[in-house]
Amino acid sequence: MANLSLKHVYKVYPNGTKAVSDFTMEIGDKEFIVFVGPSGCGKSTTLRMIAGLEDITAGEVSIGDLIVNDVEPKDRDIAMVFQNYALYPHMSVYENMAFGLKLRNLSNEEIHKRVLETAEVLGITDYLDRKPRAMSGGQRQRVALGRAIVRNPKVFLLDEPLSNLDAKLRTQMRSEISKLHQKLGTTFIYVTHDQTEAMTLGTRIVVMKDGYIQQIDTPRNLYNYPDNKFVAGFIGTPQMNFYDAALNRRGDTVEICFLNTDDKLKVPYENFLKVKPEYLSGKKEIILGIRAEKVICDPDYIKKHPEAVVSCTVSHTEELGDETLVYGDLAGKTDVVADTKTSVVFKVDSERGSEINAGDVVKLAFAFHSLHFFDKETDKSVSPRVPEVNAFDGTVENNVLKISGLEFRLPKALETADGAVSAEIPTESFTFTGDQKAACIERETILGNNLLHLESGGRVFFAKTDSDVKPGELKIGLDMKRISILKDSKILHKPLELKNVLYGSVNRKVVKKTVEENGKTRKKKSVEFSLAVANGEYQVPDEMLKRLVTGGGMGVFKKKLRFEFSPYAVRAGKAEGPITGSVEKTLDYGTERFAVVKVGDASVTAKTDAELSGDVRLGIDLNSLVVIDDKIDMIIA
Amino acid sequence: MSRNNRLRSKKRAESAANTFIYILLILISAIWLIPFIYLIFQAFRGESTGMVNYIFPRQWSLKNFVSLFTKTEFLQWFANTLIIALVVSVFQTIIVLMVSYTLSRMRFRGRRFLMNLILVLGMFPGFMSMIAVYFVLKLIGLTQNIVGLMLIYVGSSGMGYYIAKGYFDTIPRALDEAARIDGANRRTVFYQIILPMAKPIVIYTTLMAFMAPWGDYMFASLIAFGNTKSYNVAVGLYTFLDKEHIVNYFTRFCAGGVIIAIPITILFMLLQKYYVAGVTGGAVKG
Repeated sequence: MANLSLKHVYKVYPNGTKAVSDFTMEIGDKEFIVFVGPSGCGKSTTLRMIAGLEDITAGEVSIGDLIVNDVEPKDRDIAMVFQNYALYPHMSVYENMAFGLKLRNLSNEEIHKRVLETAEVLGITDYLDRKPRAMSGGQRQRVALGRAIVRNPKVFLLDEPLSNLDAKLRTQMRSEISKLHQKLGTTFIYVTHDQTEAMTLGTRIVVMKDGYIQQIDTPRNLYNYPDNKFVAGFIGTPQMNFYDAALNRRGDTVEICFLNTDDKLKVPYENFLKVKPEYLSGKKEIILGIRAEKVICDPDYIKKHPEAVVSCTVSHTEELGDETLVYGDLAGKTDVVADTKTSVVFKVDSERGSEINAGDVVKLAFAFHSLHFFDKETDKSVSPRVPEVNAFDGTVENNVLKISGLEFRLPKALETADGAVSAEIPTESFTFTGDQKAACIERETILGNNLLHLESGGRVFFAKTDSDVKPGELKIGLDMKRISILKDSKILHKPLELKNVLYGSVNRKVVKKTVEENGKTRKKKSVEFSLAVANGEYQVPDEMLKRLVTGGGMGVFKKKLRFEFSPYAVRAGKAEGPITGSVEKTLDYGTERFAVVKVGDASVTAKTDAELSGDVRLGIDLNSLVVIDDKIDMIIA
Repeated sequence: MSRNNRLRSKKRAESAANTFIYILLILISAIWLIPFIYLIFQAFRGESTGMVNYIFPRQWSLKNFVSLFTKTEFLQWFANTLIIALVVSVFQTIIVLMVSYTLSRMRFRGRRFLMNLILVLGMFPGFMSMIAVYFVLKLIGLTQNIVGLMLIYVGSSGMGYYIAKGYFDTIPRALDEAARIDGANRRTVFYQIILPMAKPIVIYTTLMAFMAPWGDYMFASLIAFGNTKSYNVAVGLYTFLDKEHIVNYFTRFCAGGVIIAIPITILFMLLQKYYVAGVTGGAVKG
């Protein structure tokens, strides 16, 4: 039993194919984690890297407190169940189960005891003398499970263990695996491409696509709060309905305009508080998603919500016994066989289903509490569970920002002329000190984040916090570095750039030195390593060199590297370090001051204590550098 | 009615075709078997020892076999052949299986190049290297004895990895991986998991490794060159066919031919099942 941690794990094959990219996850003791995704998404590769059957290109895998990157599979204390069972065909069931124990030099009595106990748990005691070929698929899979359990490992890895079984047996084995997890109380990691298996088994699910993690969450949250369109479409049967649309806020309501039909829905703005403000202008195209069971055909509901009603022409129905799936089209295109951009599928009870026939035109209401919105280009949700930004309309008077009954004095860096403005305030930028007050009406904990629902001036907004804040009246302040101020949709002040990017390389040079030893002078060769960052050059500390070579291999010396660092990891001054640049402007936030320095084509925001101008030098804290292989976008150190 | 007629004519056509095929096959096998039948009958001929122009002996006798063992060095040659074949089959089997397993399972730099190189080298006939091999062996003093011959046979064994590799490729890698997770190292995986599952290919490889030196003439005659003590059966028996010997030794040559065929025939009959599985198992994936 152990924790498992994967940090920035990559798998890149010698031909350059990237199978897994930046896989980072903490797995707790006794968790049942399911990796799910379509073929080739990297889920099995990740599992095999945990098992030690596949080398890790970059990153770190630890089991318990031990980093296991270079530990042999047999020494990782894990057990694995394979898709094709991988039972040793020349050994009996007993020998199959005892094999691993024999290799660990356990006494015969102990082996016998453990095998019998495990066989008892799995109900295979009667088959112990049989060879695997004389058993059915389900029995073989039980033996494969038995072989894994009998060793009592820290972590169980299961690679699509049910794919070779027929549908009935699969359901039965699924519940057996679930019971086994509860009984053993060990960490399980399970790979499958079947979303039903993932939803029914996992305590948390990792959805993957093209080697990237799409979302990690509980089955319920994946279903209710998908982070992107892929997760929304992958989880749930039938697939979620998607439509191209635009959102247009008009005061207290938001109009959802379907782009491929003339339909419009009117939804109260309170349902859109978490939506990023730029999507509510009506100019940005989005994708609207709604699950089949949230498209409602009930006449009473439709009567109550006339503003959320569309009409649909039915193309065909699928009878499922207790309910019926109805397929149709919002634009009346029922003669097209393939799915169109206006196709709709919804669920009705079988009684209502029997009344619906192909060609019928039916009224449908979209349950607007259950709508999902995704960016059309990035596919990411535009109404995340933990919102990033609050948008406020307000005014500036004498450099005081007034929004929703709150007043904040603007620092020199954000000086703004009097007049009406709008402000975008990240949920992370609230501090709970200062002289302003707001009411905390609710506190949610989402994926380890505390999200506060605050109210002031009749408006609800959100704040993220690490501290243990209780509902009630709160003191409110703002981290001014993070806010944006806009006037007539034009940005007057951008938030401080938190990520600086510079390019460079790590270089190796053979140096000949004349050394004096025992009174004799000798020429000695030595290798020196340097780190070129933009126009500056650093000696590489040993510790960092080790990290670079571990992460990037010996090829690291030939690569173009990207360095990312925060403004706090770089200091600007007259003699701070080897990188030279010229100051574009300084930003004075009152308590802190930053300089924006032009280095070649790049701009670097750096912490400074002095009022700077002209040419300056930059010094970077090398320990805080994130080093990335620019060509394949892989974190090396 | 017409349907019945059609069925009947179909049956008739089928049996006519079968009859033709069987007659052809019997003819071909008769042609193929005649030398063997001739050899066996001549071995038992008692009336004369030279070549004759008839097949069936007029007088049946075992004296050819008796004199083969008592009046020639056949026993020495037979022992040489047996020792060479046994030693070679053991070492060659071990080497072939190890090379095949390595090339099937491990991925290393130059693997594909090595496989292609062996394939290309294998296309050159073995006798092209005879002179060079002879001089190398002469330099280290291993000509005119059977150790040199064994060295030649075993030396190139790794090149015959194709069929065994093809067989190993059909054994799922998941078994290796399962065993490695169970606590086995590569050696344990090979000996305890893969080899027991690869019985047919082990037997096939051993048989092939046994057969090649058992019937070899070319290298054996070159290496033994003149030293009758280190002849193998093929080289030894061939001396019976010299102009000066053939009149007295032809029937003994035939008797020797029969004796040398017996062990290999028995081996094949016993291991036929595995041999077929070995060949076809390897043939699934090349």
